[in-house]
Amino acid sequence: MKTPGTTYQMTVRHVVIALASALLLVWTVFPFVWILLTSLKSPTDILSVPPTFTFTPTIDNYAALVVGEQRGQYSSTRPDFPRFFLNSIIVSIGAVALSVAAGIPAAYALARFKFPGRDTLAFVLLSFRFVPFIAFVIPLYILYQRFGLYNTHAGLILAYQLITLPFTVWMLRSFFMEIPLEIQEAAKIDGCSWLGVLGRVILPLSAPGIAVTVILGFMFCWNAFNYPLMLAGRQTFPVTVGAIQFISYEQVLWGQMAAATIVAAVPQLLLSLMVQKYIVRGLTMGAVK
Amino acid sequence: MHTRRQWLSGALLAALFMTGGWPEARAQDDQALAYYRQAKIDWRQAEGQSLTIGLNKHPFTESLLPLIPQFRKLTGINIEYLILPENEYFTKLVADLSQQRGEFSVIMTGPMRNWQYVPPGWILPLDDFLDNPKLTDRDWFKLDDFYPALIAANRWNGKTGGGVGEGPLYSIPVLEESYILAYRKDIFDQYNIKVPTTLEEMAEAARQVKKNAGIPGIVARGTPALGTVATGFISGLKAITEGKWGELDDKLNANLHDPRSVKYTEAWVAMVRESGPPNWANMQWYDAMEAFTAGQGGMIVDADFFAANYEDPKKSKVAGKVGYALVPGAVSGKPYAGLWTWALGISKATKNKEAAWLFIQWATAQQTLLNATIGYRNYNPSRISVTKDPRVQEIMGVWGGGSYLKVVAQNLETARVAWIPQPERTRLGDIWARALHEVYFQRMTAADALKKASGEVDKVLKEAGIK
Amino acid sequence: MTNRWRRHWRRGTFLPYLLLAPAVVLLAGMIYPFGLGVYYSLTSYWLQYPNRFRFVWFDNYVDLLEEPLFVRALEFTLGFTVVAVVLQVGLGLAVALFLHARIPGRAAIRALMLMPLMIPPVITALMWKIMMASTNAGILNYALSFLGIGPINWFGSTQGAIVSVLVIDTWGNLPFVALILLGGLQALPTEPYEAARVDGAGPIAMLRYVTLPLLSPFIVLAVTFRAMDSLRIFDVIYATTTGGPNDATTNLQIMAYQYSFQWYQMGKGMAQAIVLLLLVVMVSYLLMRLWNRASESVQ
Repeated sequence: MKTPGTTYQMTVRHVVIALASALLLVWTVFPFVWILLTSLKSPTDILSVPPTFTFTPTIDNYAALVVGEQRGQYSSTRPDFPRFFLNSIIVSIGAVALSVAAGIPAAYALARFKFPGRDTLAFVLLSFRFVPFIAFVIPLYILYQRFGLYNTHAGLILAYQLITLPFTVWMLRSFFMEIPLEIQEAAKIDGCSWLGVLGRVILPLSAPGIAVTVILGFMFCWNAFNYPLMLAGRQTFPVTVGAIQFISYEQVLWGQMAAATIVAAVPQLLLSLMVQKYIVRGLTMGAVK
Repeated sequence: MHTRRQWLSGALLAALFMTGGWPEARAQDDQALAYYRQAKIDWRQAEGQSLTIGLNKHPFTESLLPLIPQFRKLTGINIEYLILPENEYFTKLVADLSQQRGEFSVIMTGPMRNWQYVPPGWILPLDDFLDNPKLTDRDWFKLDDFYPALIAANRWNGKTGGGVGEGPLYSIPVLEESYILAYRKDIFDQYNIKVPTTLEEMAEAARQVKKNAGIPGIVARGTPALGTVATGFISGLKAITEGKWGELDDKLNANLHDPRSVKYTEAWVAMVRESGPPNWANMQWYDAMEAFTAGQGGMIVDADFFAANYEDPKKSKVAGKVGYALVPGAVSGKPYAGLWTWALGISKATKNKEAAWLFIQWATAQQTLLNATIGYRNYNPSRISVTKDPRVQEIMGVWGGGSYLKVVAQNLETARVAWIPQPERTRLGDIWARALHEVYFQRMTAADALKKASGEVDKVLKEAGIK
Repeated sequence: MTNRWRRHWRRGTFLPYLLLAPAVVLLAGMIYPFGLGVYYSLTSYWLQYPNRFRFVWFDNYVDLLEEPLFVRALEFTLGFTVVAVVLQVGLGLAVALFLHARIPGRAAIRALMLMPLMIPPVITALMWKIMMASTNAGILNYALSFLGIGPINWFGSTQGAIVSVLVIDTWGNLPFVALILLGGLQALPTEPYEAARVDGAGPIAMLRYVTLPLLSPFIVLAVTFRAMDSLRIFDVIYATTTGGPNDATTNLQIMAYQYSFQWYQMGKGMAQAIVLLLLVVMVSYLLMRLWNRASESVQ
C-alpha cells in the first residue's frame, strides 16, 4: 500500500529507515567483524594500543587450528580442533533431531488436544530447561561415570535434551496453535486421521516455525559449554570447550581463539542460510491461504 | 606474490582440514630414545597398559604432546590426555579425584593443591617409586638436579599448619614460578625514577611514571579471587615482614587483620587506586601481563617467567626495555617471595601405578625438560642443568640485560611457599581478595575489611573441621 | 483389556499421552540426577572431606538466609532480570516489526541478525571483554572517543560492570527475541488486518489493537524464555567479571557455582541452586498462566 505524502516526507522516511537499518547492522555485525579481524592479526597487532584496523593479515592463526602450530613448532600429533568440530556437529545434530522427533508429537498433543493434566505436563516439561545446570551437572557426572555414558556422544545428546527438548516443544506448540482450526476441521472432514492432519496440514503450514525452532535449537546445542565440560572427555569435547583451550598458563592466544570462533560459526551460518528460504516460502504459503 | 602463496596454502589447509589428515611427522625416534634407554630399568615392564593424563594448558604440556608417540614406542604404554585451562582443569580434576574412579592416572598439581588432595588420600607419595631400583634409575634420573627449594615445596608431612619440606614427596616439579618486580627501565631512566626497594618508594615511582609517561604506574591482578593476592601482593607482605607473618597464627586462627597486614593493605590499595589502571578490579593474570607487555604499565610484581612474554620481540612492545629487581620491601635483600611449581603426581585410584610412575620419570627427565624449555618456552626450568644449558643461557641471559637471571637466582635463595598448609587455601585467598575489593571501592576500611575476612576464614575452617 | 479401556482406546483418549510419551521418557531420565542433587542439598557434602558427610536436613538453606551475600545476590538476580527482559523484549519487538515491514535489504539483515547466536556465550563474553577495555585500548571506547564520550570504565567499576553485562547479554540475545517475534508476526492471519483496514484504522491503531493482541502469546513466550535465562545468567558473568567487582555482578547462579565448583562445598552449592530453581519455577508459573490467558484470547 502506497503511503500518501510529499516527496520530502518519503525521503525523510527513507533516510530514517536507512539509518535504523545501518545502526542495527553495525550493532549486530561489528563484534563479529572484530573477531574476524582479530583472527587475521599477529599477536603484536592484537595487543596494540590504540586498536588497529590496518595491518598485514596473516593466516597463521587458522593454520594453527589444523596443524597445531602453537610455538612456531609443528606438532606431530594430530591437533584436536578438527575433532572438536566434528563432535559439535554430531552432538548438535543428534540432539536437535531427537528433540524434534519427540517434540513434534508432544507439541501436537499439547496444542490440539484437551486432556486432564495437560497444563501441568506442559509446565513440568518447560521447567526442565530452567533447572540451574549446577544442580544437574555433578550428579549427572557421577551417574554417567557409573553407567558408562561419560565421554560418549550418546551421553551428551541425552544431556542436551535438557537444553533443547522443552524449548522445541513449547515453540512448536505455539506455532501449531497459530494454524486456524477450520483448516484442520476441513482435513478431518476429508477423512484424515490425526496423523494425516499432522502430516498434511500442520507440518507444512508451520514449516517456518519448525525452521526457526531447529536453527535456534541447533545453536543452543552448539554453544553449550557447562554440560560438555564436565560430561565429556577429550574425545568428545565440542568446539566450545575446545575454544577456551587457547587460554594457556603464560599467555592467551587470542588470535587462535578468534580463528576457532570463526570456524565454529561456519556451520551455523550455513544452516541459517539454508533455512532462510523456508521462512520465505512459509510467507507466500500464508498469503495464498 | 606473498599473499598468493598464503591463499594457496590456505586452500591446502582447508582441504587438509576437511579430510582431517596430517601426516605423522617421522621423528628420529630411535635417536631421541637413546637417551632414555640409558636408564638401567626396563621401560617396557608396564607394556600394554593405558594411562589418562590430566593436564593444565601450559607450555610444558604442549612440549609433551608431540613426544607421546615416542613414549609409546619406548614403553608400549598407551596415553590419553585431557588439557584444559587452569580453572576448568581443577574443577574436572577434583570431581574425578573425589569420586576415586581413576579417570586420571597422572595429574598436574602443585604444593598448595596437594594440601587438598593429601588429607583425603587422593594422591600417592612418590618416594616408594623413587626408591625402587626396578622402577627408577636414580643415577640417571638425578633427583638432586632439581632446585632443592622446589623439591622441598612438594614435600608435606600432612600436618595442617606446617610441615612443608618434610615428609613424603607427592609430586615432581616441572617448572619454577616465583615473584619479582619487572619495571620499564627506559621510562625509569628517562625520568630519573629510582628503582623501588620499599613500598613507599614503589608508590612514588608509580606516581612518577603515571605523571610523566601517562600510563598506569603499576599493573596488578585484581579479580576477586585467589590469584590477586597469591603472587605479588603476598610476596610484598612477606618481604616487609621478613617472612614472619602468616595468614594463620599457630592456633590456626585467621590473621589477616594483623596490624602489619592492615598497614600494607592500606598502602598497596592506595597505590593501585592512585596510579593503577582503571579496570584493576577486573584484571586477570593475563590482563595484567598483557598490559605490561603492550607498554601500558610502569611496573608489575608478578610471576618471574612472564619475562618470556615481555622479552618476546614478536608480540611485546617493551622487549629489551624491561628491568628486573626483587620484590620491594625486601629487608636486607631477602624477599621471601612466594613460590609455586607445577608438578606431576599420581592419583591413588589409578590401576596402573607403575605405568604412571614410568610416565612421570620420562616426562621429568633431563632431556624432556630441556626440550620443553628450549622448544616450547617452558620457563623457569626446574632442573639446574637446564638453566645452565648454554642454549637456555643464551635465551634467558639477555633478558633485562642480564639482570633477570641474577635477580631470579637471588630471589630463589629465600623464595618459599608463601602459604600455611591447610586444605582451604583457595577459599582463604578468595575471601582475602574480596576484602581487597571492599577497601578499593572504599566500602570499608582496611582494618574492618580484613577483620571481617578473618572472621569468614575462621568460620570456614571450623565448618571444615580443620580447627 | 476391559471394555472401558477398549472404548477409550478406540475413542483415542490415550492418544495425547502416547504422543507425549517420547518426550516425557527422555526427560524422566533426568529426574534421578536431579533427585540426587536435591539429596546433596540436604547434606554437608564437601568433596575433599568425605568423612564429614552427614545428613543435615535444612541447615544449608537456613544458613543461606543468614549469609549477607545471599541477599545481595538475590537483589541482583531479580533486578537484572527485570531490566534485561524489558530491554530485550522491547528492543526485540521493535526490531521484529522493523524487519516485518517491507524495507529494502531486509532479507540480508534477517540473515545477519542470527550472527550473535552463532558464537558461544563464553567466547562472546571474552571478545566483548577485549573490546570493552577501560582505556582507549578497547575498540568500544576508541569508537566512543570520536563522539566525544570519555573512556568508560566498563569492567573496573561496579556500575560499569553491571551495564557491561547487560550490553553483552542484550547483544547475544536480541536476535533470539526478534526471531521469535518475527516468526510470530509472519504466522499471523491476515483477516483481522483486512477487517481493521476496512474500518479505517491507521498503522498505530493496527499495532495496538490487532498486532499486539494477536502477537501476545509470542511476546509472553519471549518474555518467559528471556526471564528464565536472565535469572540464571552465568556464562557472560563468569567469563568477564566472575561476579565482581566487589560482588556487584554476583547472582545466585554465580554464587552456587563458586560454592560447588570453586570451593567444592556441594551441600551448600546445591541448596543455592535449588533456591534459584524455586525462584525460577515461581516466576515461570506466573508467566505460563499469562501465556495461557494470552493464547486463549487469541483463539
